[in-house]
Amino acid sequence: MSLENKCCSVRVGMSVADFELDTFDPKEAGFGKVSMEQLKSNGKWTVLFFYPADFTFV
Amino acid sequence: MAADPTGKVSKMFGVYDDESGLALRGSFIINPEGVLLNSEVNFYNLGRNIEELLRRVKANCHLAANSDQGCPAQWKNSGDKTLTPGPEMVGKVFEALNS
Repeated sequence: MSLENKCCSVRVGMSVADFELDTFDPKEAGFGKVSMEQLKSNGKWTVLFFYPADFTFV
Repeated sequence: MAADPTGKVSKMFGVYDDESGLALRGSFIINPEGVLLNSEVNFYNLGRNIEELLRRVKANCHLAANSDQGCPAQWKNSGDKTLTPGPEMVGKVFEALNS
């Protein structure tokens, strides 16, 4: 497998550039969006948890 | 739950595998100011330990509130001893943590 890091990988200690993702919030039972700017304005810590695909266990 | 169908955010964080189109098992802790403070990336077959992830979140929260301190190796939980780095700590870490 090859890993391409063409885009500047954000590294520990660096500010995370703004990004936006579509979301589903079970509490609101609806689709929405989340962005880094929005997360910063909430004043909360963020954990981004990536996983490869559904049904890949572990 | 968020969707990254183009892989743009996965690439930003260096977890995108462009052979498979999948993301590696990466966890990233970002403070309220938007600075990345912690990263863990595992290959597909290794699940993450959520207790360890929470440990690192707690440690980072504590350190953000106490900027003169450091969490020593083996720090586990809120309330565990921390260190105040400085020249007077040289050679005295064991003593500071075990007294």
